Amino acid sequence: MHVYIYDDYLNKSKYNKTINRIEIRLTDLGLNGKILRLGGIKNIKGAIQNEIRLGAKTIVAVGNNQTVGKIIGSIIDSNSSPEFPKKIVLGIIPVGNDNSIAHSFGIKNEEAACNILLARRVEKIDLGLIGGHYFLNQATIQSMGTILKIDDYTIEITKKGEVKIINLLSDKDQTIKSNPHDGLLDIYIRTQKKDWTYLTAKKLKITNPENKILIDGVLEIETPAEVTITRDLVHAIVGKERMFE
Amino acid sequence: MFSKENKLEKFKDAETVIGASIKVKGNFQGQGDIVIEGSLEGSLKTDANIYIGDQAKVVANIESKDAVINGEVRGNIKSRHYLAIGETAKIFGDIQYGEISVAKGASINGQLLLLSEDSKKNEKAKSEEKTQSA
Repeated sequence: MHVYIYDDYLNKSKYNKTINRIEIRLTDLGLNGKILRLGGIKNIKGAIQNEIRLGAKTIVAVGNNQTVGKIIGSIIDSNSSPEFPKKIVLGIIPVGNDNSIAHSFGIKNEEAACNILLARRVEKIDLGLIGGHYFLNQATIQSMGTILKIDDYTIEITKKGEVKIINLLSDKDQTIKSNPHDGLLDIYIRTQKKDWTYLTAKKLKITNPENKILIDGVLEIETPAEVTITRDLVHAIVGKERMFE
Repeated sequence: MFSKENKLEKFKDAETVIGASIKVKGNFQGQGDIVIEGSLEGSLKTDANIYIGDQAKVVANIESKDAVINGEVRGNIKSRHYLAIGETAKIFGDIQYGEISVAKGASINGQLLLLSEDSKKNEKAKSEEKTQSA
């Protein structure tokens, strides 16, 4: 059974047509299920776990990266709880902007998302954790003044640019390689066109008193923050055009 | 790492690249190829190869299989297999090597010590072991 979690912003009238189109398509494909609206839920984790008890096998985020961010923790907690022995699968139907996670999964738009849900190609994907927040794509911070502590050494960056801590690529950047199945975070630091740094780590600490870290393009957090990764933690429905093997 | 013309080239698919605007402090260890274009203080060790760029400043003991040195190194270097020292290299420390080439213009302030045949054999055995397990 599918449970669809609608984000708050979908209440806006400009999304009415899109939502109607999605619901009709899902019904045509025989994928209709229960709809939960985040606006009306105070305890997201409790609501999702209740649906799992009632037989939900797939939780579908209808919205954007923020929507996925709001529910991913509840899915992961359920998957690691002995009360719920069956792994819950994450699906995404992207609506509106800020949908890099869906694009990484090879989901271009809402119509493709419905077809991809039907095909149900499930992949296990690593999940990053930073300052208590999960992330699927990447965390970024301004490079100037950033210090990274990794294992037995520190990295100091003295020039302007950007630090990217990548789990799963969100765009097809030919210069960056990232594997979301290897249990490693890919760290890219670019300060000028030809000055770039690349390394991998399982765990690191980011410090920058002047700048915040941006998670999956939507959430900002203060430093210092510890970043870790867990291998193959998320079971997600992905499309053929996904940006990883 | 070495082209047909025997030029000292960077590895194309290095596992780790430290750019020119980066300062690394501490014990840096890896298993794959490492390229250093910035500065590093501490120690630098890998089972594979190391490339030190011409603008790099390394204050560390270095240990690797092959190594290419084009920048400044203050510390001892142990290259178990092949060590190539480029014309812009400035080395202040002792060097242990299996085989070596030194370009005209390079400066070395330290002792050069050829690793014993036993060390080379151990290195060869290690390489073969890795090839078989890969």
